[in-house]
Amino acid sequence: MDRYELRRLDYTLSEDHTDLQSAYRQFFKAHCSLDTARAAEPTGFDKSLWERLCASGATSMAVPESHGGDGATLVDLTLVAEEVGRAIAPVPWIDHVCATRLLARLDALPSNEEHTLALIGGGSIAGLDPHLGGPSGVRLIPSGSIADDIIVCDGRDVHRLTFTTRCSWVDNLGKLPMAWVDTAAADSRSVLASGPESTASYQRALDEWRLLTAAALVGLVDETLTVAAEFAKNRYTLGVPISTLQGISHPLANMAITVQSGRNLVRRAAWFLDNEPDERPELATSAFVFMAEEAAKAAMMAVHVQGGLGVSVEAAASAYLVRARGWPLAGGDPAASAKHVADIVTARERVHHGLGA
Amino acid sequence: MDFSRLPLSEDDRVFRDDLRASLRTHVTDEVIRRDRETGENFDEGVHEGLGAQGYLANDYRTEFEGGFTALHRRIWELEVGRAHTPWFHWGTTAMIARTVESLASPQLVAEVLPGVLSGKTRLCLGYTEPDGGSDVATCKTRAVRDGDGWLINGSKMFTSNAHNSQYVFLVTNSNPEAPKHKSLTMFLVPLDTPGIEIQGIRTVDGDRTNIVFYSDARVDDRYRVGEVDGGWTVLREALKSEHGTLERSADGLQNLSSMFHHGTVMAEAVDTVAAAVTTVRLDGRRPLDDEAVQYRLGRSVARMEAALSGPGMFGRVAVAQTMRDMAPDLMDVLGTASSLPVDTEGAIADGAVEYLFRLAAPTGVYGGTLEVFRNMIAQQELGLGRPNYSPPKKVTT
Repeated sequence: MDRYELRRLDYTLSEDHTDLQSAYRQFFKAHCSLDTARAAEPTGFDKSLWERLCASGATSMAVPESHGGDGATLVDLTLVAEEVGRAIAPVPWIDHVCATRLLARLDALPSNEEHTLALIGGGSIAGLDPHLGGPSGVRLIPSGSIADDIIVCDGRDVHRLTFTTRCSWVDNLGKLPMAWVDTAAADSRSVLASGPESTASYQRALDEWRLLTAAALVGLVDETLTVAAEFAKNRYTLGVPISTLQGISHPLANMAITVQSGRNLVRRAAWFLDNEPDERPELATSAFVFMAEEAAKAAMMAVHVQGGLGVSVEAAASAYLVRARGWPLAGGDPAASAKHVADIVTARERVHHGLGA
Repeated sequence: MDFSRLPLSEDDRVFRDDLRASLRTHVTDEVIRRDRETGENFDEGVHEGLGAQGYLANDYRTEFEGGFTALHRRIWELEVGRAHTPWFHWGTTAMIARTVESLASPQLVAEVLPGVLSGKTRLCLGYTEPDGGSDVATCKTRAVRDGDGWLINGSKMFTSNAHNSQYVFLVTNSNPEAPKHKSLTMFLVPLDTPGIEIQGIRTVDGDRTNIVFYSDARVDDRYRVGEVDGGWTVLREALKSEHGTLERSADGLQNLSSMFHHGTVMAEAVDTVAAAVTTVRLDGRRPLDDEAVQYRLGRSVARMEAALSGPGMFGRVAVAQTMRDMAPDLMDVLGTASSLPVDTEGAIADGAVEYLFRLAAPTGVYGGTLEVFRNMIAQQELGLGRPNYSPPKKVTT
């Protein structure tokens, strides 16, 4: 591509953006303490937090106005996702908004139907299989134990599955409401769409899931960095705060670099998906590949900086550590995402370098 | 937030097309070839040619002073980059000239500035010393009063472009008894002063820099910039722009970090590799058919785009560190032939990654090492406190 193209390079947030950001930062501060996140670990889901979150409009905002929602941009959604990650909130918000937006694109949200309204309002939960390349048969789905509708793609068709009895929760590192889902055992199964257009639509949902997960990981790393930096300023060794030792301060600086770079990449990727979706389709998945790798490294360093206190299960750092690894892994091997990025970029550069399509 | 293409008025289009035409005239294949051979990042013909057309003066001046509009400045930066113009040192000349203009005597400004703007006069930095490293306040080069002037003795490393410059912006120690930050005096020393010797040094990325020796070099007091023993104040002003810590305006028309140009070089190399792995190599294979190649390339793209997104100091470290981290992967996916430099038979992608690997070394060093910037992030952004640099205890026997 033309790396010298004349475009603005403006990452500043509008006042609406910062209002949205601080509203959700306050929301989670008020309603989702670390204890709240911990208390939900046996199921991966806090129903009352979810209901409060939905009442704030967090699910309806994500649905296009044409389908009865409030038509938020993806940039808006990344701001909310960052706060979900900062609070390690036990709610399936990312999966639900990606799934409902997919249903809207596939025209599977018939207006004024009770179920549609429930999905928009979050009373019914939709989940999706975030793996690339559509594995078949039995698979782990991150919202599988609580989702009413589960959307999957087999590479040709997009299906909606429902189960009379919800699939059982399995314990998992990321403390997600995860379940083994056997697509063949679904009580109802409908084909929502078929053919290349529907798989492209599903791919867009996978891009959005990766983008919002990357945003959540940015918030997660930012919070665990803040806690670790505060600890380091107050912990002394040989008469000096350990924060002044470069063996501590430089890894913390690296975490800050991860947050700043990852956050801006997430927002730029979101802006392109919102405004020029065909121009930089590799950026959303790139943000995910970057944050999937860096979040766990950064969260491990945050634990390490706090030493023996960091490894205890009471420490915030250990709660952030397991989610930093478990959340991105819910989408399968991140290498598959890296390969997806390579597919997009090599196709583009072949043409740009005059080697033919 | 806005990443959209900028609409150009007729006037903007004319400006861009004229600039492109000028660059085509000046930056010939011969200029590029010579630049590769000499590593100078400078070409007198290009520099003076663009100066004569008024581009330097317009880039130097603010819009308020009659210089480029923000949009024309952005077009100027992008087109100079696109043409791969040997251009690394204009920023240094402009930065020093700005400091001189605000802190030196009117006579010195009158002597220097017209030549800077026409391109005839170039300025270089005499900060780092052979024993010094990134801490410019550690200065052993002495300036001693000698009548109405000063005698200068010492040596400076990495005085890049000294051999194409007319003046060096020199940090000297004028008061060795005083605390470090009250011991410095700055001069703009004419490089034709007797007693100055310039020796070339080549760096691993192919660049040429210099070591400069000062032996009883006598400089008139009118070449002093700022107060006697007040050099730290002058340096701090000058370092702000070099470190990329100046305020950014919010119009999205500036580089995001001070190493953004290096980031763009990295991005071009990644794009070139992405095209090259789709072609069949001499062994009959297409590297992209190997999933290990797909993975490494995709991961490199992701990390490169993250680095390009980092603002200010964060981006500066991210670009240099990412270049070091991923250049080996980008070479590996192209195999042994990726070790062949440009213009060699069978070199892949014009030797772009072989160069990127070598460029990664100085990128994390010059203008302040990665550690300097990690210290700055730790102290200024995270409030972690200053490292304790207490001197080692004296050994008593």
